[in-house]
Amino acid sequence: MISMTPIVEAVNLKKTYMLGKVPVEALRGVNLKVESGDFLAILGPSGSGKSTMLNLIGALDKPTEGKMMIEGVDISTLNDNQLTDLRRRVGFVFQFFNLIPRFSAKENVELSLSIADMSSSDRKKRAESLLETVGLKERMNHKPAELSGGEQQRVAIARALANNPRFLLMDEPTGNIDSKTANEILRLIKGLNEEKGVTAIMVTHDQRLATQSKKTVLMLDGLIVQEKVN
Amino acid sequence: MKARDILSYSFSAIRLRKLRAGLTTLGVVIGIAAIVALLSISQGLQATITSQLERGFATDTLIVTAGGGSFGMGGGLGGGGDSGFKLLVSDTQIINNLPNVDTSVAIVEKLVNVTIGSTNRVSTVVGVNFTEYYAIYSDTFKADTGTIPLNPENDSIVIVGRRVIDPRLNGTVIANVNDPIDIIWINATARPPTTITLHRNITAILKQIGSSFGVGGPSDSNVYIPITQAQTLFNTNESDMIIVKLKSSDQTVIDNATKAIKGAFSGEVSVISATAILGIISSVFSIIELFLGGIAAISLIVAGVGIMNIMIVSLMERTREIGILKALGTKSRTVLLIFLCEAVIIGLMGGTIGVGLGWVLANIVAVVFRGGGGFMGNQANAGTSGMAITPILTLPVFFGALAFGVGVSVIFALYPAWRASKLKPVDALRYE
Repeated sequence: MISMTPIVEAVNLKKTYMLGKVPVEALRGVNLKVESGDFLAILGPSGSGKSTMLNLIGALDKPTEGKMMIEGVDISTLNDNQLTDLRRRVGFVFQFFNLIPRFSAKENVELSLSIADMSSSDRKKRAESLLETVGLKERMNHKPAELSGGEQQRVAIARALANNPRFLLMDEPTGNIDSKTANEILRLIKGLNEEKGVTAIMVTHDQRLATQSKKTVLMLDGLIVQEKVN
Repeated sequence: MKARDILSYSFSAIRLRKLRAGLTTLGVVIGIAAIVALLSISQGLQATITSQLERGFATDTLIVTAGGGSFGMGGGLGGGGDSGFKLLVSDTQIINNLPNVDTSVAIVEKLVNVTIGSTNRVSTVVGVNFTEYYAIYSDTFKADTGTIPLNPENDSIVIVGRRVIDPRLNGTVIANVNDPIDIIWINATARPPTTITLHRNITAILKQIGSSFGVGGPSDSNVYIPITQAQTLFNTNESDMIIVKLKSSDQTVIDNATKAIKGAFSGEVSVISATAILGIISSVFSIIELFLGGIAAISLIVAGVGIMNIMIVSLMERTREIGILKALGTKSRTVLLIFLCEAVIIGLMGGTIGVGLGWVLANIVAVVFRGGGGFMGNQANAGTSGMAITPILTLPVFFGALAFGVGVSVIFALYPAWRASKLKPVDALRYE
């Protein structure tokens, strides 16, 4: 089998923040590979550097040292516009959902499509089918405030999937919802991964959720200390 | 993001904060309304003055006054320059012999007391040759009642303007044709001052002319007597001005005649043409408009600062939203455009409403002004009384005001929009 370019590859990745005048080493040399079709959980306590890792994988930030390759491209070499294009190929799901409150569920999904310049009529159809996929067909005209936490996260997942991303990138996707709903969300993600082949990367501090993924890496103090295939 | 999507996104952001956006827009509305109101009133005023001037001062006439060199109203019409040169009534003969001149009429005028019945008013008495005066001002020097006798060798003729017998122009007539009129001239330069009274009867009453700024032309407030009578009454051969009717109103004819007249009096006279006065008025008004527009523009700039303030507040509130947009792959340029688009919407709305409101305001002011005409009419000064201003909104002012409103909005939104576009997605998403 010909070796395929990993979707995400971190090589000796380092990131140092300045917290006021104090440098904080968030990542201290991380090596990681995510192949197409993977479902990876990045596990670790707060302060372990997993959020920093997530920002780098999502091309929201650039590393201080080392390489972050997305589909074989080093993000350090990209300019602002190229990074923006790259972000359109990443499906972000946030802990706090980050929906635009004044837009309905459907409009939130459509926003993502309009950013990618899709025409208005195509957008509507696609948004409806995506919301159907995540099980929100009946509530797509509701605004985020009228939806439960679980429903909001489903909208966020539909939005993340809108532009056929190379992978889903989730930051504590169940961190803000009750455990029963969390299981449903996780089932949804697993279903997308297994049935539709969506590559998924999830950052969490919940050990129990992490075991549901195909692969788990444990981060501690800016380093990956353990890798485990579930 | 497509332009339409940017627009609808900006709209949705504005709709979210209706009161705030409304108040911001109000700032623009006030600024634009002030500009439009002030400019359309001033342009209307200019048009009124110009048309009145044209009515009282035909374009094919020149006004000759003593006082060499000084061009314009001040020195020119004041009579008597520094050199001591006096314009004589008989100088019309010199002027009549010049090329391009059709005819000319000398005017002798003084302020006198006019008594009709129990009413005593100050009026200007004008001595003219009726035949020549009528030849020049045949449109306005027309009798309403009685007849203007041409070739009047009869000294007893007195022709009055409408306002002399109907001071408020409201139909309350204090005298009719053949009623007695006393013209009382006090020669204050004589020692002791002497008073001469002419007891006359009104020969004819002029048709109402309406207000006019005409120099030398007929006026509703004047009393007209034959020039010979005026010379006797005021004991003078001096003419306050000579009105010259040219054979055509071509600019070259005006220029050549002006040169010829000045030459005939060795440059000791001023020659004013209607076009020259119109030119002066127009340049004075452009200064006034610039000044008024400038004041109004300041209020618009204040509105611009308001827009900037609101945009910065909005930027802070929406930092997270900008983070989301950027994480979803929105280009920095698009974020910039979204914010600028909000400013354009505010500017356009404010501009449109402002132009409408300014137009309404200008018309209200015009109505108030017209109403005040009656009050002003009580004063003897005929020139400005009962002035009807019709505000004028020209296309350049209309579009200029709109463009200015949008321009100011956009300029003041540039900085907040730029800041929004430069936000780093990581920082913006973390923002609480």
